[in-house]
Amino acid sequence: MTGARLAGSPALRLVGRRLLAAIVVLWGVTFLTFAVMSALPNDTAQVLLGLHATPAQVAELNKALGLNRPFPVRYWHWLVGLLHGNLGTDLEGASVNSQLAQHLPVTLELLAYALIGSLLLAVIVAVLAARKPNSLADRFSLGVSMLGLSAAPYAFAIFLIVIFAVKLNWFPVQSNSLGSGTLLSFFQQGTLPAASLGFPLFAIYTRLLRADLVEQLQREDYIVTAKAKGLAPWRVLIGHALRNSVFSLITVVGLNLGTLIGAAAIIEALFSVPGIGAELLTAIGNKDVPLIEGVVLVFALVTVLGNLAADLAYAVLDPRIRYGRSTS
Amino acid sequence: MDVLDDHVPASQATAALLEVDDLRVGFAAGGREVRAVNGVSFRVSPGRTLAIIGESGSGKTVSCRAVMGLLPAGTVVTGSARLRGTELIGLSDSQLRRHRGADMAMVFQDPARSLNPTMRIGAQITEAVRAHRKVARGEAREQAVELLRRVRIPLPDRRYHEYPHQLSGGMRQRVMIAMALACQPRLLIADEATTALDVTTQAQIMELLLDLQAELNMALIMISHDLGLAASYADEVVVMYAGRIVEQAPARRLFGAQGAVRMRYTRALLDAIPQLGRPAHTLLPVVGGRPPDAAARPPTEPDLAEHVPGHRWACWHPCQNGDGE
Amino acid sequence: MAAPRPEAALPGTGYLPPGPPLLPPVGVSSRRLASQRLGRALRLWIPAGIVLLILATCFLLPQVTSLPSPTNGNILDAGDPPFSPGHWLGTDPVGVDVFSQLVYGGQVAFEIGFGVTGIGIAVGSLLGVTAGYFGGWVDAILSRVLDILIAFPALVLALAIAEGLGPSEVHVIWALSAFSIPAFGRLTRGATLVVRDLPFMVAARLAGTRGWRVIARHVLPNIMPGIVTFSLLGIGVVIILEGALDYLGEGIPPPTASWGAMIASGQTVLTAQPEYVLIPSIVLVIVVAALNMLGDALRERWGVR
Repeated sequence: MTGARLAGSPALRLVGRRLLAAIVVLWGVTFLTFAVMSALPNDTAQVLLGLHATPAQVAELNKALGLNRPFPVRYWHWLVGLLHGNLGTDLEGASVNSQLAQHLPVTLELLAYALIGSLLLAVIVAVLAARKPNSLADRFSLGVSMLGLSAAPYAFAIFLIVIFAVKLNWFPVQSNSLGSGTLLSFFQQGTLPAASLGFPLFAIYTRLLRADLVEQLQREDYIVTAKAKGLAPWRVLIGHALRNSVFSLITVVGLNLGTLIGAAAIIEALFSVPGIGAELLTAIGNKDVPLIEGVVLVFALVTVLGNLAADLAYAVLDPRIRYGRSTS
Repeated sequence: MDVLDDHVPASQATAALLEVDDLRVGFAAGGREVRAVNGVSFRVSPGRTLAIIGESGSGKTVSCRAVMGLLPAGTVVTGSARLRGTELIGLSDSQLRRHRGADMAMVFQDPARSLNPTMRIGAQITEAVRAHRKVARGEAREQAVELLRRVRIPLPDRRYHEYPHQLSGGMRQRVMIAMALACQPRLLIADEATTALDVTTQAQIMELLLDLQAELNMALIMISHDLGLAASYADEVVVMYAGRIVEQAPARRLFGAQGAVRMRYTRALLDAIPQLGRPAHTLLPVVGGRPPDAAARPPTEPDLAEHVPGHRWACWHPCQNGDGE
Repeated sequence: MAAPRPEAALPGTGYLPPGPPLLPPVGVSSRRLASQRLGRALRLWIPAGIVLLILATCFLLPQVTSLPSPTNGNILDAGDPPFSPGHWLGTDPVGVDVFSQLVYGGQVAFEIGFGVTGIGIAVGSLLGVTAGYFGGWVDAILSRVLDILIAFPALVLALAIAEGLGPSEVHVIWALSAFSIPAFGRLTRGATLVVRDLPFMVAARLAGTRGWRVIARHVLPNIMPGIVTFSLLGIGVVIILEGALDYLGEGIPPPTASWGAMIASGQTVLTAQPEYVLIPSIVLVIVVAALNMLGDALRERWGVR
């Protein structure tokens, strides 16, 4: 029933258009990054050679690194390399691909931890809050989420370190072997950074979900029907209201991915997590353009995919769109 | 249905299933106190149909929702509503829940919005079944399919898995009825159940409701603004206006040829029904003015009194003869 | 209750003498509503007051009294506790007055916050409204531009600029605008789309009102509430981001005072004297929370979704 219906359907065309737009955006971001990096004064060669290098030596190295060619040429070469799957080599001679392969999984694991943790907590708190609006639980949830929205992740991270790592010694202060150990060590080293990242997320999701749930409970007719059937309030809340709120939540999660990965950079630096965020910060310090480009590409990819997923979530999940109208 | 003497109110022939006495509902809105229902009393017996007629805002829906306990928090309900002797007003929500769906059920107006769009209709029905009885999943499913069959939905096995938007309006309403009947309630309240449907489907649904009523010996309350519907299907009619009952009589009496209507309001409602016999382009007499502001009521109003056995009205200047003067 | 006798009524006027009340007082209404209204007013004016107080402290106080230098300190005064003479909140480990750092750091934070948000509103709204109103390929192109800017990591840009051209307040504003412009662009585009097809808008267009006039007179007033509330939230976000840059040393160049730099330098004595990190962090939270709450209260009042 669904398969034949989907091909050539408006849904597929929508996906196609979005994919095309996504590719344009990815190209635009990489182009812009290259342009900006090229526009800035670049003394990489100088830095590598040290203060005592002669201008001739600097020029020599520039030529060897290909840094003296005009920016469109360099961009073109990079783009061609990209289409072959090769992201070039960074200034230290290592392949960008391998750098990414080494550090990206760590960041992704950390992000997953933060995301899933904050989602779970948000659902629990929002459901408890929506159950009785303006109750103590509700006000508490609103207060905590306001805190999460207002606290700077880096300040919060420091606060967490002081209390939980230093004073209570529950977690290590640094997480430099995150991602390369046992599951237990993952949780030990990953909890504080994930909490720093996840607190603002938790705040946003809780507020959104609570507002959506309360609105449904007050306004939607099918909620009255559910109550008229004699269902218990929890069942109404979770089985009916929450079910329908999941859509908007997923949309927001997708839209947030881009900012999340940006925030990860600072947190990684704070906790010495060996992820690509930390790599990016050092790369910028070294003006290591190929590495920067590679990481930016990944960031942009995540953002674009997140937006794409948010856009398409409705088309895929809402049964009204998925199944269309049958003949009756 | 029995043929009854005009002088004996139909709803008192057998012991009443639902007895509502002096029901009053008020709530706060926009800085004022709104009195939606002001002293409503009626009775319904098993196997009988009561029609509650009124304009929007007359309090007809609020009264029935008050009985079911479906009004939002912060609403004040006083008075009495006894279902088979059990007083419903004043019960806690968890106590009322045991009656909702089991002893009394409600069918709502717009099935497109009253059914959860993201849940398959089969699941919505089994939910109703399992809300009040300990039934295994497989058996609940069978019961649901049987209910679908009973409300005359073709291919119930297939429909079980479908989503509400895949069904037509009439079918959705049948699903709502199936859900309401899941636990075989004694009382069924149909709140404008056919208003959102086209005329043909309307007739089908009403016929279905009446057949089911006869099968299950249910008491049926129809809420509507359509006097024609009341004339065709109801045993007794209650006319509400501004939160009060203004006229109450057996349907036969109200709509009979001799026209015993006493309230100008009811008269006006009747006259507003388009009739085939009239010349083309006749202007319909419209009920003038608007219902009074429920937050600022006039200080005195006439009582509802039984001036003629079986027929009550509340008026200081009732219509003198059937033709309304 | 007996009905009044018909003859007591003046014929033809419908006037009836008053009778007993029909319903005992419901009792839910007036007190609860009054407290609801009070709550709403408090939720608006308390955050507004806090924001105004902080703004006044940061910008007006230095004009009125002279504060110790926020950048140079006497090492001999280092580590003074709060309420020491001449140092209201004490001094930090190198002798610089803490309160002054907060005040001048606040100036920087708000300047950048308002600056970035202002640019975002001006440029972003222009792009967004144009895209939303005209639609078609104009929308397609502008939307892609906005998408590209949003996907572009502003952090990278900020850091790169700071590394390449040296850190400064102006550079920070440029860099963060790359993030605020598309944010407002998307917001205004969405709001314009909603407003564009409302009946009164169609009527205005049919009446022949020309594009720009329609926009100015009809679209803008309707999207203004959304813009204002979003701005308040946005200023908070920018202040946090700017703090991050300062924390990394890539924002406002030291020794200029900034909250982020205070946190960074306080981190060195974290275990022994946590107050040097706590104080600017708490101030940050209060400021951003007040802005957020103000935005929420306005959203409530104006009915923005």
